[in-house]
Amino acid sequence: MTISDASAAPPLFRMDGVSKRYGGVRALENAELTVEAGRIHAILGENGAGKSTLIKIMAGVVAPDEGRMLLEGNPVSFRSPAEASAAGVTCVFQELSLIPDLSVADNISISNPPRRFGLIDRRAQRLIAEEALARAGADDVHPRALIKDLPLSRRQLVEIAKALAWKPRILILDEGTSALTAADVAKVFSVLKRLRAEGLALLYISHRMHEIAELADQCTVFRNGRNILSFAAGTRTDSEIVEMMIGREYSSAFPPKPERATDKAPPALECRKLGWMDSLRDISFAVGKGEVVGLGGLDGQGQRELLLALFGVLRGTTGSVLVDGKPVALESPKAASDAEVGMALIPEDRKTEGLMLPMTVRENLSFAVLDRISSGGIIDRDKEARLIDDMVKLLAIKSDGIDVPVGALSGGNQQKVVIAKWLMRQPRIILLNDPTRGIDVGTKHEIYQLLRRLADAGAAILFYSTDYDELIGCCDRVLVVYDGGIVRELADDDITQHALIASALNVEGKTMETAA
Amino acid sequence: MSDTTREQPMTPPKLLRRLDPAISTAFACIILLLVIGSFYSTSFLSPEYLLQQLKVASFLGVIATGMMIVILLGQIDLSVPWSVAVGGMMACAAAAYGPAGEILAIPFGILCGMVIGLANGIGVAYLRIPSMIITLATNAVAQGLMVVYTGGFSPQDSATSAMRYLATGFLLPGVPNAVLIWAIVGAAAVFVLTRTTFGRSVYGIGNRERAAYLSGINTRRIVLIAFVVSGALSAFGGVLLAGYASKAAQSMGDTYLLPSIAAVVLGGTSILGGRGSYLGTVAGVILITLLQSILSVMQMPEAGRQIIYGVVIIAMLLLYGRSPANR
Repeated sequence: MTISDASAAPPLFRMDGVSKRYGGVRALENAELTVEAGRIHAILGENGAGKSTLIKIMAGVVAPDEGRMLLEGNPVSFRSPAEASAAGVTCVFQELSLIPDLSVADNISISNPPRRFGLIDRRAQRLIAEEALARAGADDVHPRALIKDLPLSRRQLVEIAKALAWKPRILILDEGTSALTAADVAKVFSVLKRLRAEGLALLYISHRMHEIAELADQCTVFRNGRNILSFAAGTRTDSEIVEMMIGREYSSAFPPKPERATDKAPPALECRKLGWMDSLRDISFAVGKGEVVGLGGLDGQGQRELLLALFGVLRGTTGSVLVDGKPVALESPKAASDAEVGMALIPEDRKTEGLMLPMTVRENLSFAVLDRISSGGIIDRDKEARLIDDMVKLLAIKSDGIDVPVGALSGGNQQKVVIAKWLMRQPRIILLNDPTRGIDVGTKHEIYQLLRRLADAGAAILFYSTDYDELIGCCDRVLVVYDGGIVRELADDDITQHALIASALNVEGKTMETAA
Repeated sequence: MSDTTREQPMTPPKLLRRLDPAISTAFACIILLLVIGSFYSTSFLSPEYLLQQLKVASFLGVIATGMMIVILLGQIDLSVPWSVAVGGMMACAAAAYGPAGEILAIPFGILCGMVIGLANGIGVAYLRIPSMIITLATNAVAQGLMVVYTGGFSPQDSATSAMRYLATGFLLPGVPNAVLIWAIVGAAAVFVLTRTTFGRSVYGIGNRERAAYLSGINTRRIVLIAFVVSGALSAFGGVLLAGYASKAAQSMGDTYLLPSIAAVVLGGTSILGGRGSYLGTVAGVILITLLQSILSVMQMPEAGRQIIYGVVIIAMLLLYGRSPANR
């Protein structure tokens, strides 16, 4: 049921029982994958399903802990991306990896330039570039043009050409089209189809279901680090695929949600046509007092930017933000956390954005309220100690006293310190950026309870999470973000795994409902 | 910065835990130097000699205070040499303008240093120029301006009596005024660094500027103020030095750049910022001063001293600069 019968010749590439752990987290467990030449193989899965790890292992970026990889039946192991590429497995990564100030030809040969007498042979380099560009369908790009002068779609093609210059037999595309417009996508697709006809194996990772429907010959679904099922494209409906991607039981560890009151007061936070560069488009929504609103969607669709924009970190945002019905200018985190706005942002990465690890718990906790516990710039130590005491008790932060470096605490307790640091300001609007990532289950539950308590006390909470269970369990409403805009709003009982994933993938809502 | 969650460290008694190993090392080195010095000459341990050393150390101590604040931010101030010279020269220059000039000499000297610091601060905080570049540049500009002003010779103006009194007088019997001034500057620095929002912000920015910014700290203003303070203290050091020598000189600040950085780093302040205490800087300043004194007693040529400073700084960076968790 899992793999097509490969009896005669060995498949081009095979991955067998591959596992990878990061610390205690299993990113990939006993994964199997078979890739055939001349086919486009799509990899599907939600956030954290193990797709990226799979690609990184194939491309030699990380080494697997267990398992083996076979190329044409021969065991291989790659110690670096260059080694993988030399063996014929090349990856076009999600982030554009081109150097803007170098020419196209320089970029294409950057890791392995042709040499003559120890110097770079510029003529040979240009020939290589021309050939690779032609294969990538970008003949109109001049090898000597600078990358920074090219439009985004051409850069993506150069990226593919760069991979093709290695003459790979397996080409991996990780979200190869996420930066492109529809017309450019069509161009890339025709290139990919031609490469397939030339006998390359293509591994295609995308969150866009219609792209997969158009391109793929074979699909494999990953979930929780395991491959769930491989099937020929077109044999399963979108709805069935979504089911496969979810496939886990839903644990209830969440506090009960209160009945929502229909409040006539202006919302605590309202956002009108908020935009920022290409990342945020026309975002309008409102969060009422006492409401927990979730931000859903796949990773990197603009949720993080939205929170940063609200908190005044981003420059050049358009649109307007209203707090309690009054427009506010959020120019800096300082302005956003001012008393009359009362906003707090619990940042994504506690180690680089939330805390100063070598500093003590005391210093970290009082850092955001320095202005309130001081007069004339001099800190009132008694007041500081009192406030900190209360907060440590409220959140049950476990540490060896408040004068130990916060870096000595466990991840869960560190996260509590980040949250406590902001609660000391008694914010009325709380923005959270994936606050439970990488912390233990017990602390997660405490955080869920805390969020509900804060909401009950009248705070407006906007909460981004990559964990669908959390969105379902914690939120009164969920806004699903896709490609920098809000594509769907789900409320109360409509917040289901199915609806979340379907709208995160931006699959047509109607077909989903009829299929389900 | 490695930031994996560490095992809970064993908890030694509170006093020991608070004492940075770098500071205890520095004090141990001071004692060692005194012992070595006493083999050369018995007068090394006499109160007169020690007081004299403390007095010489005061000038470095005042300058190193400003340097320490900047280093705590994770920046550096390379404009020290000519901030010192500008302070001394401008104070002496003002003294030439009659009685009003006499009175305003010291504030004017310090003000000129603050202007240099302001330029540094604007460059680092608002224009985002690396501090190593901008402070080097302002140092060159200050040098050029002073050469134009003096025509390349040592200026003829001499220090005011107030400047001389500050540097060489005795307000309290037995305690040179320079030492008293260092004590006051030091006490102020300790207070500012530990008890004020400015001090907390300096440590916070030095550790993680991004986290400090997201916490609602006006990081640019803090950086700006720190550089202005550093410029002011360098210039004040120059004023004192001019008072000590009765006049300012072209290269009076040149011998203070490396020692001021060395003193801060020897005292356990992380060159990457965010960590360090003023007690360490005190130890570092005394250590450097004693080292200088012993090297000159041993008749070590200037080149040899420079080599020793450099090696000491590198050794301390290797020992302490690399382990941000080692607290």
